[in-house]
Amino acid sequence: MTSKPPCVQVRNLYKSFTRGSERIDVLQNLTLEVPEGEFLALMGPSGSGKTTLLNLIAGLDQPTEGSIIVGDQEISQMSESELARWRTRHVGFVFQFYYLLPVLTAYENVELPLLLLPMTKEQRRKQVLTALDLVGLSNRLSHRPGQLSGGQQQRVGIARAIVTDPTLIVADEPTGDLDSKSADEILKLLETLRAQLNKTIIMVTHDPKAAERAQRVLHLEKGRLVLDTDNRLAAVSSSWS
Amino acid sequence: MFLIDLSILFGISISTLTILCIVLGIVLMPPFYLILLALEKTLLVAQWAGFSVIRFILLVFRSLQRNLLRTALSYMAIYVLVSVVVMIWSVLSFLDGITTEKQEDFKVLITEKFQIPSQMPPSYEQRLLSIIDELPPEYRMKNGEMDVMTWAFVGGTLDPTKQTFENSIFFFCMQPKKFPTMMSGLEEFTPEEMAELNRLIDLMEKDKKKVVIGTGRLEKLQKKVGDRFKMVSLNYKDLEFEFEIVGTFPKGSRYDESAVMHRDYLYDTLRDYEKRTGMPHPMANKCLNLIWVRLPSKEAYSALAAKANESGSFSTPAVKVETESSGVGSFLDAYRDLINGMRYMVVPAILATMALVIANAISITVRERRTEMAVLKVLGFTPGMIMMLVLGEALLIGVLAGGMASSVMCVLTQAQGGVKFPIAFFPAFKVPYEAISWGIAIGAATALAGSLLPALSARRVKVSEVFSRVA
Ligand SMILES: Nc1ncnc2c1ncn2[C@@H]1O[C@H](COP(=O)(O)OP(=O)(O)OP(=O)(O)O)[C@@H](O)[C@H]1O
Ligand SMILES: [Mg+2]
Repeated sequence: MTSKPPCVQVRNLYKSFTRGSERIDVLQNLTLEVPEGEFLALMGPSGSGKTTLLNLIAGLDQPTEGSIIVGDQEISQMSESELARWRTRHVGFVFQFYYLLPVLTAYENVELPLLLLPMTKEQRRKQVLTALDLVGLSNRLSHRPGQLSGGQQQRVGIARAIVTDPTLIVADEPTGDLDSKSADEILKLLETLRAQLNKTIIMVTHDPKAAERAQRVLHLEKGRLVLDTDNRLAAVSSSWS
Repeated sequence: MFLIDLSILFGISISTLTILCIVLGIVLMPPFYLILLALEKTLLVAQWAGFSVIRFILLVFRSLQRNLLRTALSYMAIYVLVSVVVMIWSVLSFLDGITTEKQEDFKVLITEKFQIPSQMPPSYEQRLLSIIDELPPEYRMKNGEMDVMTWAFVGGTLDPTKQTFENSIFFFCMQPKKFPTMMSGLEEFTPEEMAELNRLIDLMEKDKKKVVIGTGRLEKLQKKVGDRFKMVSLNYKDLEFEFEIVGTFPKGSRYDESAVMHRDYLYDTLRDYEKRTGMPHPMANKCLNLIWVRLPSKEAYSALAAKANESGSFSTPAVKVETESSGVGSFLDAYRDLINGMRYMVVPAILATMALVIANAISITVRERRTEMAVLKVLGFTPGMIMMLVLGEALLIGVLAGGMASSVMCVLTQAQGGVKFPIAFFPAFKVPYEAISWGIAIGAATALAGSLLPALSARRVKVSEVFSRVA
């Protein structure tokens, strides 16, 4: 087996916030690797630092200490504008509350990140339609978010996350606001993205059922990794018993 | 009487104007949204050309539609305030214009020194001419007597039993032949209108009972060209005149409400009165209200003023010599405080209010949309782009509302040939076409000033704070 470099490499990561005179250490000496094409779930109690870790990996914030390498780039040293430009190409973000722009249509929402890239109108159109087709919404192009169900809005959100063909997809409780049927569809969609397009996916979730769909589950507690379960091995071992 | 007219004009203008602007602003709100919509549609078509910048601008348009009420508020603030500011500026630059010294057409004005209205004896004309004759030749008028014009004001009514504003008329009593060279504002006449004026002046010179009356006044009198009528004078007690109307001044010119009669007719009538009653008319020695002289230079004016002030030249009554602009200037002195108050207090106050209203509306918008700005940042929009989006929204309203307000002001005053002051030697007041660009500039600048702080705070939105649960 040739060892490909991992998609995400986090080393000795510390993150603390200061509020007033108080210092909160959220992440402490965290090290982890996510291989390319892996679907990883992050679990842990509320306040354990899951969102903070996800934001750091996605380049939305800078660590207090430690290094983060995504693809082949060290992102912990980049400036805010450099990070912004880097995110457009390399990270797709899926939110719990979708966060689509209410004044834009589904098509325009998905197109938004492409506006930041040097592309012609036609190239953009092709990519937007591909993404919307992949999430099964090619017939809702000119609907505004208010005219779509929660599950549909989240699918538009996913289309927006994959439209730039990013290396990494991060999702913060993407099913947290959905009923179990819609949640199931979203999880299937994420699995498909991994299986067919070989996307690396990191998903924060509170739902053990959702976590089961991932290939590996990391448990975070008080800013430290406490458990690393590989579902693939579990599946193998359960088939043996 | 001039002073009263002007004070009414100014007094009314500020409050009426503001109300008028508010009404206009409301009336023009639907067109404002239509223009926004039309621009958006145009951009939608244009974006097929493939510029992604247009997509950004579209985003700005869409954001404005999100809260129509707030957009309307910002629009109204800018509309009303740009209207008022443009109006005040126009009035100020207009007044500056007429009080600035003209170099090429240097007219001086001789009036009684200590009394308003000025009433001088007719013999002062000859005395003035002889004083000028004593000046060095380079200080004398270039065209001799043709550069001297006297004015007497003769007012009267067509119905002495029941005098009204409509049946009253007020004549400039002068030598008609001097009209084309000495009266101001004739550069506004077309060549055809000038030809007609010269024809009428010939008629008046041949028959002193013939008069020319402005179209507007003629309509109010319910008379037409060719009519004869009798006028009983009000300021020349017991004098009656019989006039024949030979023509009118061009419609919409500054002479629309004016009338001109031959001064010889006044002098003859005064003489007839003396023959009839055996006594000179009480006004016979007071029937010269002012004298205009066109001099070659400022030095000539100083020389003449010095000479006229020497004892013995003009003693009962004494006279003063002023340049045309200083004459108008001293006449406007009463309003100078008002004008300066507007310039240095009202205008800055208006601009500050405007900026505050916009700042408030936009900062509410930004606060509401913090999450949205954070999402845009996640997608890779740089802080600068986020800031541009906020500034762009303000700028769009500012440019559009400011442009609309000033264009409407401009078109309204230009269309009726300007707002006429009830004074013939004042040009009509118009909001100049340049005001449209000022309006846009003022609207844009205040919109920018008002949106700067909210835009900076939008720029600083921290993604990690918006999306993590800050307990
Ligand atoms: N910008 C910030 N400023 C100060 N403290 C913060 C900030 N972001 C997060 N924190 C703190 O860091 C800790 C971890 O927050 P985080 O949002 O990562 O938790 P989480 O595991 O995602 O929780 P949940 O499951 O409830 O979403 C919390 O105590 C939170 O209050
Ligand atoms: Mg969280």
